[in-house]
Amino acid sequence: MPKIKSRALSPEELDRFGEELDALRARTLATLGQGDADYIRRIVAGVRWLGLGGRVVLMAGAILGGTVLPSLLWPLCILGTVLLGLAKILENMELGHNVMHGQFDWMGDPALQGRSYEWDIVGTSDNWRKTHNYSHHTWTNVRGMDDDIGYGLLRIFPEQRWKPFYLMQPAIAVVFALLFEWGVALQDLRIGRWFAGKMTGRALWKMATPVVKKIGKQTLKDYVLFPLLAGPFFLPVLLGNIVANVIRNIWTYVIIFCGHFTADAEVFPRESVVNETRGHWYLRQLRGSSNLTGGRLMNLWSGNLSHQIEHHFYPDVPANRYASMAVEVREICARYGQHYNTGSLPRQFGTVVWRILRHAFPSKPGPARPLMAAG
Amino acid sequence: MVTAIRRPHWLSRLNAAWAPPAVLDFWLSRLNPLWSWGDARARVVERRPEAEGVTTLVLKPNRHFRGFRAGQHMNIGVEIDGVRYTRSYSASDMPRADGCIRMTVKAVEGGKLGVHLQALAVGSVLQLGQAFGELCVPAGQAPCLMLAAGSGITPMLALVQAQAAAGFPRPVRLAYWARTRAELVQAATLRGLAARHPNFHVHFMLTGETAHAADESAGRIDSHHLATLLPEDGRIHVLACGSHGFVERARALLHSRCLSFQSEAFSPPPRVVDASDEGHVRVTLLQTGRTLDIARNKSLLEALEEQGIKPRHGCRMGICNTCSCGKPSGATRALHDRSVQHEPTQALRLCMHAAQSDLSLEL
Repeated sequence: MPKIKSRALSPEELDRFGEELDALRARTLATLGQGDADYIRRIVAGVRWLGLGGRVVLMAGAILGGTVLPSLLWPLCILGTVLLGLAKILENMELGHNVMHGQFDWMGDPALQGRSYEWDIVGTSDNWRKTHNYSHHTWTNVRGMDDDIGYGLLRIFPEQRWKPFYLMQPAIAVVFALLFEWGVALQDLRIGRWFAGKMTGRALWKMATPVVKKIGKQTLKDYVLFPLLAGPFFLPVLLGNIVANVIRNIWTYVIIFCGHFTADAEVFPRESVVNETRGHWYLRQLRGSSNLTGGRLMNLWSGNLSHQIEHHFYPDVPANRYASMAVEVREICARYGQHYNTGSLPRQFGTVVWRILRHAFPSKPGPARPLMAAG
Repeated sequence: MVTAIRRPHWLSRLNAAWAPPAVLDFWLSRLNPLWSWGDARARVVERRPEAEGVTTLVLKPNRHFRGFRAGQHMNIGVEIDGVRYTRSYSASDMPRADGCIRMTVKAVEGGKLGVHLQALAVGSVLQLGQAFGELCVPAGQAPCLMLAAGSGITPMLALVQAQAAAGFPRPVRLAYWARTRAELVQAATLRGLAARHPNFHVHFMLTGETAHAADESAGRIDSHHLATLLPEDGRIHVLACGSHGFVERARALLHSRCLSFQSEAFSPPPRVVDASDEGHVRVTLLQTGRTLDIARNKSLLEALEEQGIKPRHGCRMGICNTCSCGKPSGATRALHDRSVQHEPTQALRLCMHAAQSDLSLEL
């Protein structure tokens, strides 16, 4: 059982904690400008070039490898697949996820508007804006309100009620990682409610229509149109697209699970958010989130979710600012006696894996770790 | 902005599956910044000083621009320090064979865009909206009186050129108010046209200098001025363009002599709105066509809900962006720091802003 690393704050301390974090936000927003616009456009360019490079190399590998240069088949197809996977990771994480939070709405560029951006993944942006931007970010790690706690499939925290079903979760967790984008796509449909007879088939179909359309579009693009371009050599292209999507699935799964399911991450009961103050909300975000060390490369490829704490404090501040804000956030947290949960990717993900294995079996919650001191 | 809504061709829908317009635009603009899959854009091909504080830009639009009539205006968008600003400007010349648009831009004090446009390098690419506006010379033979004040001259220049191209088939009289002689735009061209065409007369009205030439007068618009511009009898068509006050004064003075009165008043530069949060303002909901009065002392979301409107929303605390909607006009006040925003925006979070002036919302 992890020892208690953060102290409870008095209501006055919570208010001051919130004010200091609000002030940092205001100071940062006041300096947004050309540098941030240039940054996100560089990311767009990176996504486009990686995507084009990946598809061209994959196509070349399939066609050349299938005809005149068989020795190039594997190396080119692997390289193309990796580049395509990287393009999808960058698009989903540093571009799509951040843009959909409205981080770049202030630019007024129609291609970078949070309300209308559509990302390169089977899940619809509209569902994401609801389950993620609203439910998850407002009610982070609150049991019964944040669907992202175990995604309704996994028991991550001892506070979740144990069922025999969870004995299978080590295997389920692996399958879920491979198919993560499909989980995201279907999350908001709550198909379980239909199985349980709590939702009519008609209601489910109505909700599913846009999802089915998006799935059709993505499948057509990645698994039909681009493979067809290679003519008789479609098979390596098809496999390359599948593997690229799976690479992206695994990486996003690892990063996202490190954000809220590490050893020190906490969950909260519903009562904790009744009449919640700004300071209390900040503290809950801090206690429920965890960062990753690893510098600029990790920041880029995790879509700056390596600064999950800063992202949850400031979901609408351009993510390229998190690294510099983190210096001050860390200092504020230290002054208020709060643990700043960060660590290397292997270490943080190791604790996630341990949680998945451990809580497959019955377990009991540790002592309560209140956010607010009584009185 | 006027955009025709049509169902895309099946080919372009199939194409959208391969590569969405944003992706195509990325590659097209790498080849040529003017190229786009669907957006009208224009390149600055010439820039020349026109008068004091006034510059003319010649713009070459791409093929998505569907043309304009003399007297119309179009939205111009440029990015300044990462933020896109959009304003509408009238074409200051009739459509020409080369397909270029001439725009005459004045640097307004405190107006970011005018200053920026005047300094634009030849070769720069701008966002361009489709042309809109109804100002035109009505059909028929009745005399036409054009009244322009300050930047209000631009659509009149285009209309005068269009009349000149037709050989002035009817009497046209232009009265043009400016503060000083140095601020007059294309005075020589107008005088040249007046010298060549007996049916066209031009009068320069100076409000900050004394009149010298025969076609000059001094003073603001009044009944005495207008009496000298009107024919002895008969009714006329009037076109007026200038500040709101100018247009309303012209309307009141000419009311009894008009066959028709067309006007265009440009909005004044952002005024300082009182920072208090008392009272109510008028909000126009553009998608539902409703207009209502809402309180200024609470968030737009709460104020709209008070009036029975239920905008979509989520967290109510500025996190989730669900309630954000477009605000084409009006001023809002950010609740966290009381800063006032005048710029049009595509994404205003209703839960974090209060109304400061009358405004319109994409709801």
